[in-house]
Amino acid sequence: MLPIKKGFEADIDYDYQRLYVSGMMKLISQMLKAGSQVDDVIKAEVAEMPEGFVFRMAVTPGTLKLTMKKQDGRLVDLPADYTGKPDLTMTFKHVTFAFLVFSFQEHTAQAYANERIILDGNVPMSMKVVRSLNRLQTVILPKIVAKKAVKTYPDLALVQKLQVTTKTYGQFLLNLVKER
Amino acid sequence: MANEYYEFFCPVKMVAGFKALEHIPFELTSHGASRPLIITDRGVRGVGLVDIVTNALDAVEMQAVDIFDDVPPDSSMLTVTTIANLYREKSCDSILAIGGGSVIDTAKGVNILVSEGGDDLRAYSGTGVVKKALKPFFVIPTTAGTGSETTNVSVIRDDESGAKVPFVSPFLLPDAAILDPRMTLSLPPKITAATGMDALTHAVESFIGLAKNPISDAYAASAIKKITNNLADVLRNPSDATGRLELAQASTMAGIAFSNSMVGMVHSLGHSVGAKCHVPHGMCMSIFLPYVLEFNLEECRENIGELLLHLAGPDVYAATAVADRPRKAIDTIVALKEEMYALCELPRKLSETGSVTEADLEEIAHMALDDGSMMLNRIDATFEQALAVLKKAF
Repeated sequence: MLPIKKGFEADIDYDYQRLYVSGMMKLISQMLKAGSQVDDVIKAEVAEMPEGFVFRMAVTPGTLKLTMKKQDGRLVDLPADYTGKPDLTMTFKHVTFAFLVFSFQEHTAQAYANERIILDGNVPMSMKVVRSLNRLQTVILPKIVAKKAVKTYPDLALVQKLQVTTKTYGQFLLNLVKER
Repeated sequence: MANEYYEFFCPVKMVAGFKALEHIPFELTSHGASRPLIITDRGVRGVGLVDIVTNALDAVEMQAVDIFDDVPPDSSMLTVTTIANLYREKSCDSILAIGGGSVIDTAKGVNILVSEGGDDLRAYSGTGVVKKALKPFFVIPTTAGTGSETTNVSVIRDDESGAKVPFVSPFLLPDAAILDPRMTLSLPPKITAATGMDALTHAVESFIGLAKNPISDAYAASAIKKITNNLADVLRNPSDATGRLELAQASTMAGIAFSNSMVGMVHSLGHSVGAKCHVPHGMCMSIFLPYVLEFNLEECRENIGELLLHLAGPDVYAATAVADRPRKAIDTIVALKEEMYALCELPRKLSETGSVTEADLEEIAHMALDDGSMMLNRIDATFEQALAVLKKAF
């Protein structure tokens, strides 16, 4: 018999899952934006994306989505009504699969291995986006949670992690204030 | 570790064994087709392999409407458009692809255009764009390595931009794959060895990767056993039709395995070396396989240990302590590489290819990190780690 994960046992109502995923997408887009401004690792990944590169993470049928663009060397979030065709789209086949990833029960690579995500577009860029997301999660989450959220937890000293975490959260707050 | 969830899909009919080619007319008529276009390359036609197929058709008063034999080694969109126009001009109703990976990928592209319409293949690029059944399509592999006859992917070079454009859809799969030992009998020793090691790598990476599943494991295990039992023997006796068929079947089985559970870092490095230094794909696979297994060892020790049973057989497996099996499995692959070198000088190291210099390694490592195959490798390699593996393999 196949082992059943806690996420399935919990049987959380789909409406709550949708709400959670929606909130996490907003948070991730803002944090990724901050990370692309202050974290050297994410900055290096973004530097290799072409200017104007657009990627989207979406949940079928497409009402839940985050769309980001490289603009002036960093990532910015695009409005929900953006109608252009992204260069890269990562689509979760169901809200539950997005919930599994965003609640750190299954990392992105495992979700892809389990056929829960469809990748469409520029493959080398998808690797840069996934590495940026992994880096973000290792930086902003406590190690015990981050180890579940990424396939390989990197060799990151506590002091170094705290420095980057502080800078990323700081930039995140600064961006929020600026946008008000 | 088995996944909690998996999908497995392979609707391709296998027509395999003694006189398999003579089944093609029946396969065509059973799909309502009688006017096939043959797509192949000059090398395949030059050694008379196409004649074997056309003779089998002639015998039952069925002719190939035309033969396109100018597929380049690196499939291109321009070629696809040219062939699609030929298909339409001659009112063909089906496709017979006779060749290796490039011919098969090209034929998949042609089938998209002649079925969906239009002249611009780019309109169908990406995942899941082709959404309906295409024209009757049959594949006759002439190498035992790529497994393209069982994959839902075609990668075709855009002649304008130079980019390699992927097309992914279950409808790209052929209606049948015809495996006949006559098709691989004339394969030169070094290509036999390289394509055999390519198939072995497909099976091994599928068996240890993040997307492994019980059904693909069964195909992978059987493919590994057939390759290790037959590859060296076929090199010693190239006219061994039974051994050739075993290798052809192993290649297809490995193709079924990896098309369902994907590949990993051996392919990331191999694709990058191929792109940068034009080393043949199978050669790269053979070189990198043991080094990448060592790199992944700590993360999948149990799976690599299990490989020993299929690589070396039950006696060696039973006589080896559990803790020693992973190392013994890697050593068995190293020994196979040495045997390939002794039999046909298949390179064991990058330096032996004569095409790669140490100065190339940093760029190759960088390219490998962006290769999609890295996604399902058990460990996310850093630039330094990828470079270290490359240096060991140099």
